[in-house]
Amino acid sequence: MVEVKLINVTKKFGSVVAVDHVTLNVNHGEFFTILGPSGCGKTTTLRVIAGLETPDSGRIFFDDEDVTDYPPYMRESGMVFQNYALWPHMNVYENVAFGLKIRKVSKDEIKRRVKEILELVKLEGLEDRYPHQLSGGQQQRVALARALIIQPKVLLLDEPLSNLDAKLRVEMREELKMLQRKLKITTIYVTHDQEEAMVISDRMAIMNEGRILQIATPREIYMKPRNLFVASFMGKSTIIYGKVVNKLRKYVEVECKNFRIKGVTPYEDLKVNVGDKVACIFRPEFFKLKEESDEVNSFDGIVESFSFIGSIQEVYLRVGSARFIFEVDSSFNLNIGSKLRIYIPYEKTVVLPV
Amino acid sequence: MSIKFKLIRLLKRLLPHFDPFIIFQSAVSLFFFIFLLILPLSSIVLRAFLYKGSFSLYWFQSILTNKYFLSLSPKGGKLFEIYGDTLYVWGLDYGIILNSLIIALTVATLCSILGIVTAYIMAKYEFPGKTVLRIGLNIPMLATPFVNAYVLSKLFHPKRGIINVLLYDILHILPYRVDVNGFAGIILAQTLSYFPIVYLNVLSSIISIDPSLEEQAENLGAKGFTLFRKIILPLSLPGIMAGFTVTFIFSMEDLGAPIGFIGYSGNPLAKKVMSYYIFQSFSEALRGQISPETATLSIILLILSLSGFMLIKKYVSLRTYATISKGSRWSSKVKKPRRIGLLLILAFIIPLVIFASLPQVGVFILAFTDWVTSGIFPSKLTFEYVNQLLTPSVRTAMFNSLTYSILAVLIAVFIGSNASYVVSRVKSSIANILDILSTIPISIPGIVLAVGFFLFFTSYFRGTVLDPLVDPSILLILAYSIRRLPFAARSIFAGLQQVHISLEEAAMNLGANRLHTFIRIVLPLISINIFGGAILTFVYSMSEVSTSVTLGSLRGDRGPITFYISQVVYGSVVVGAVSVGAALCVLLILLQVIAISISNYLLKQRFSIFGM
Repeated sequence: MVEVKLINVTKKFGSVVAVDHVTLNVNHGEFFTILGPSGCGKTTTLRVIAGLETPDSGRIFFDDEDVTDYPPYMRESGMVFQNYALWPHMNVYENVAFGLKIRKVSKDEIKRRVKEILELVKLEGLEDRYPHQLSGGQQQRVALARALIIQPKVLLLDEPLSNLDAKLRVEMREELKMLQRKLKITTIYVTHDQEEAMVISDRMAIMNEGRILQIATPREIYMKPRNLFVASFMGKSTIIYGKVVNKLRKYVEVECKNFRIKGVTPYEDLKVNVGDKVACIFRPEFFKLKEESDEVNSFDGIVESFSFIGSIQEVYLRVGSARFIFEVDSSFNLNIGSKLRIYIPYEKTVVLPV
Repeated sequence: MSIKFKLIRLLKRLLPHFDPFIIFQSAVSLFFFIFLLILPLSSIVLRAFLYKGSFSLYWFQSILTNKYFLSLSPKGGKLFEIYGDTLYVWGLDYGIILNSLIIALTVATLCSILGIVTAYIMAKYEFPGKTVLRIGLNIPMLATPFVNAYVLSKLFHPKRGIINVLLYDILHILPYRVDVNGFAGIILAQTLSYFPIVYLNVLSSIISIDPSLEEQAENLGAKGFTLFRKIILPLSLPGIMAGFTVTFIFSMEDLGAPIGFIGYSGNPLAKKVMSYYIFQSFSEALRGQISPETATLSIILLILSLSGFMLIKKYVSLRTYATISKGSRWSSKVKKPRRIGLLLILAFIIPLVIFASLPQVGVFILAFTDWVTSGIFPSKLTFEYVNQLLTPSVRTAMFNSLTYSILAVLIAVFIGSNASYVVSRVKSSIANILDILSTIPISIPGIVLAVGFFLFFTSYFRGTVLDPLVDPSILLILAYSIRRLPFAARSIFAGLQQVHISLEEAAMNLGANRLHTFIRIVLPLISINIFGGAILTFVYSMSEVSTSVTLGSLRGDRGPITFYISQVVYGSVVVGAVSVGAALCVLLILLQVIAISISNYLLKQRFSIFGM
């Protein structure tokens, strides 16, 4: 178990900058996720950590050891590939034992440790099966066992659940989380699925176009996004653009096309001054239905469409040229074309510079 | 960390993609190509451009102004001439350079026409007997060096040839006896054995066309010939180009037809081509000399075939080959022709298959009957010639061929695996160079390589085991290995394409270095491709002609079977000796059929470019 540090790591493929001056710090035993849309550089970042790509600049540390120039086979990292990369000519036992054989561990110990790890991932009794005789979930466990058996300094997971069906994916991510807590192994997980990332991680990094945009706990990222991309990538939201007209200690006032909005800027260093162009972000679950008038953050509109999700209903409300998305209780009676008035408290309204 | 590791770290700073194993692989492969391809060919260049100790175009000038080599007006031969009851089809003599070029262009054109039509029919129509014909179309490609041309010259003998006796004397279909001889004989022999190459190339292109592309065109109103011209022809252009160029190159470097086509009363016209001229000058080589004219002519031949290769380079590189040789992922649309169409198809393809298989059929007849001495028709079965395969001189030749071929396979597979691995896994200029070097031997005339080997190894390795005047065995092994390397490299490369890179990364991630990964992960996964490629390499080494009859001639007891066959067809005065050659060819045919079946089965390759 180590602390993984990336300092100013850049990796280019031709003229494409896949990883752009990435600096991050993964703590001992932490479950850290890199989240971003496809092509954002998250997998490349993981491969740079594994040593499968050589960065053009920047350094990588495992604790205090600079591993930047280590070839992959000297990094002692255990990686689970997106396609599992199980060797088709070896059975489960041989696949899992491979890393130990390379390390010239004695036969008896290999036997013991393979048995142990297969129990851990619940694959006892499947030693003689070949990869093509296993289900997707079982293959995934073999890949995990194969990576874990060498007791790696860091566990690297490259979208390991993306090839599983939806139900299995939810089961496996719970198991993965439990396993990681049990082994207390530093884990770096790459995914494009924001729900998965939120559920599984201690902390996460949001990445786009090769850059890290924010590193924080899932809660903080959702509640206090640092920029517009993070805000719009994580969950649903309504975004209204405007200009700052007034700045007070508690909140800022924003003048929009049809209305005036009060909101807060989540971080001190995100400087917003009077006259600046900004975006106001509203999460659908923070809206309330409101009868009384003259509140600042109140919007009158017409129901454009709504859909029943289960526990809630998702409503699209037309307010002038803007369209708001918000949630109401599933028992609430909705009609298309009917008028509604919604309200959001200013402390739940995030104002970000554009 | 150790000193070794610090060194790696330092090198890695200098070369970001430093990997000892990849560097080793590149270096070994490059050394092989430099030593066996570039240096020998450079020795020819050196010889051709040196006159009285300095660089000069003297030899080129002297050759290109000599009417024997190049003549703009014909100085002999006859195109179509009738004397008495015989129509002579020989071809005109424009000097050996133009002769070779005209023959090669004619052969390539004829092969392309036959090949494209056949491929279109086989790809697009369903008709009774198709499977038999499909197999039949492979028969002409079975190598029966020298003897096939000998059979054709025997069939077309104006007085005693079966074709003339049958069609003129007995059936009276022909108004004249036909004497196909000289260049026409070469063109006939080569066209018959090479057109299936174009056929297979074009077939593989046509069936790789996504049927929805055709359906879309039909949906928009295109049909029949328009559909063929606007959609199928352009999309199968890679196959056509590759087929045309390869037959062009094969025709120019061919020695089998010029040597084997004896013709009526030993007409020497068939010998007036570049490859034969170079071959003959090897008899001078026995005295340790290769004339500057020969070297210069080799360079001209090399330039002609290499320019052909450059034309199709992008279609035949390992990287492209692997993607187009797999055949179709979908089943191409097949139509049932109407009655007239069916008749036309059968009337074209059945005679073609029969006619093109005549040389191979003739080889069997020569081997198992007394045809060689009986006159027009064979009169009785005999095992006399097959039994002669057990004589010491034939056994020596067979032993030589087997030894050379097996060792050549080992070398070709070793180099082929290393070079292919670099080409498939590394993106660098070295990989691109290795890609070209692994394919280019296809376009280097064997006879030119033989000249290069002779010049290079007699000059710089005089008196050593590598000196062909001492013992040509090792050079023959090396020559086979480089000439047949493309077959091994392609097959292995195709296998590597199937191995997902993450399988190797997973091994390296778990602590295996490149060498370990290569041995424990990559090799087991591509073992079938290695084996399939090895079989092909073996078979085409056994039937290799050009270097066998040249370098192999330098010491009688070290000659392989193809050298032996060339001797009995061309030089031997012993009655019936040709039939012993035919018996050897039967053996070669069996070997080829078995090996190619195994390889096709293993590689699950239904069709392959180059028809091999």
